[in-house]
Amino acid sequence: MTTRKTVFVDTSLCTGCKACSVACKAWNDLPAEENKLIKGYQSQVETTSKTWTYVRFVEKYENNKMNFMMLKLQCFHCKDPACMKACSSEAIYQTESGYTLINQDKCIGCGYCAANCPWEIPKVDPDLNKTFKCTGCIDRVENNLKPACVSTCQPGALHFGERKEMIQVAKARLAEVKKEHPKAQLYGDKAMGGTTYLYLLLDDPKVYEMPVDPSTPVSLTLWKDIIHPLGGIAAGAAAIAIAGGVIANAARGNYRAKREAKNTDTDSDQGISS
Amino acid sequence: MKNKEVYRFTAGGRFVHWSHAVSFLLLLFTGLGVLSVIFQPWMSIFGGIQVTRNIHRIVAVFFTVVVILGFIIGDGGKQLRRWVKDVVSFDKDDFAHAKNFPIEFFGGHKPFPPQGKFNGGEKINSAITLIGMLCMGITGYIMWFAWAFPQWLVQWCYPIHAGFALLLTALLIAHFYLGVLHPDSNQALKGMINGWIPSQFAYEHYEEWYLNEVKDVKEREVV
Ligand code: SF4
Ligand code: SF4
Ligand code: SF4
Repeated sequence: MTTRKTVFVDTSLCTGCKACSVACKAWNDLPAEENKLIKGYQSQVETTSKTWTYVRFVEKYENNKMNFMMLKLQCFHCKDPACMKACSSEAIYQTESGYTLINQDKCIGCGYCAANCPWEIPKVDPDLNKTFKCTGCIDRVENNLKPACVSTCQPGALHFGERKEMIQVAKARLAEVKKEHPKAQLYGDKAMGGTTYLYLLLDDPKVYEMPVDPSTPVSLTLWKDIIHPLGGIAAGAAAIAIAGGVIANAARGNYRAKREAKNTDTDSDQGISS
Repeated sequence: MKNKEVYRFTAGGRFVHWSHAVSFLLLLFTGLGVLSVIFQPWMSIFGGIQVTRNIHRIVAVFFTVVVILGFIIGDGGKQLRRWVKDVVSFDKDDFAHAKNFPIEFFGGHKPFPPQGKFNGGEKINSAITLIGMLCMGITGYIMWFAWAFPQWLVQWCYPIHAGFALLLTALLIAHFYLGVLHPDSNQALKGMINGWIPSQFAYEHYEEWYLNEVKDVKEREVV
């Protein structure tokens, strides 16, 4: 039996070297893209269809002391993924190992997933009309290798393993890190049903420009759980009503009455075509 | 009144109506492909989902342009104002007509107060269509140019677009039934084809309009 895996991102050990981003490109055959400096050392604003992971840099000043925080971002591989709920093409599926994946054969590039992901992770490639995001290196993971980004990480900020084990490691690290960073916290242990990418943050998620309480958009629930079934019922009811209407009219002899009226009064018919 | 007809819909009005009809059907069909995976195989009729997604956009633009032109050219503006004014002025006589709808629908008949150019039921149909198409257009363009709008707005466009699509489809089914299949009310269809409807029908269905506005003025003998 396959068990749920987890990647633990220990941001307290991240040095912002971006090796994960490079390793991801190398393993997944993704081309380099033109970058520009956003702020500090950050060279990427967001994920793209060709860059599935990047490092966000945050400089926080407190009592004249600078806190330099780095955060690797990619798909979180939610337990209850909003992207999968949004996809009308049944292109997104989950594996027992805990990954949320896009089936490229089924994807039509509509971008519904992209618009509904709390972290805006999936990105549509407008030339291919296909959507891409981190695959969790499922091809490596299912062959007993670590994800490319994890195996390349030198300072030990990325760990891969069984979920239960990773949560233990994360909790132990949190207790340790809290001594120096009292606001440190775990991120992803509960959100979206518990994400496969589990983070140890040094500060509030807000500081990292991340949603504090990531959740499935209300509009998405309304759309998929209420409007779709209701709309189907409404269209079906209308169709049944007209069938009933035709039958009721026929039973009352309304069609026959009309034909007879026409036969005795042909004048009114000729007028139409004139 | 027998053997007479009155002029009901101008060429411009009929043009907008039928452009709307054709556009709506095309938009509905091509939209079904992205609405649900169940309909995706049907998209191969037009060459696959990527083709139908583009047809959806082209028809949307065509429709937007036609509607705008239809309401600008000639006396289109005047007619639009008249239509909207009629729809907005929904009063108790309209309500009295609309509440008989289920009875009329299934071929029965119950007297209702004299109606204006548009009866209560037609006003409801018009109101939902007007609001619906406006919402469809706005949300559609926002989803098309999603990159230019905040994420929350794009997210809300999905349920609104899908909701109105389904509501308008239900309305279309009823509208088609009353205009084409219903043994009595389908006489109105002639008005949407050549513009003229039997005076008798006008008198029975739009008494106020017939007596006060079109009788003798826009009436002709049928040869
Ligand atoms: S992070 Fe976004 S794209 Fe990844 S599984 Fe969650 S909702 Fe889907
Ligand atoms: S872009 Fe692809 S994966 Fe995303 S919602 Fe559309 S069909 Fe599904
Ligand atoms: S898990 Fe694989 S695909 Fe995902 S960010 Fe890491 S290297 Fe890239």
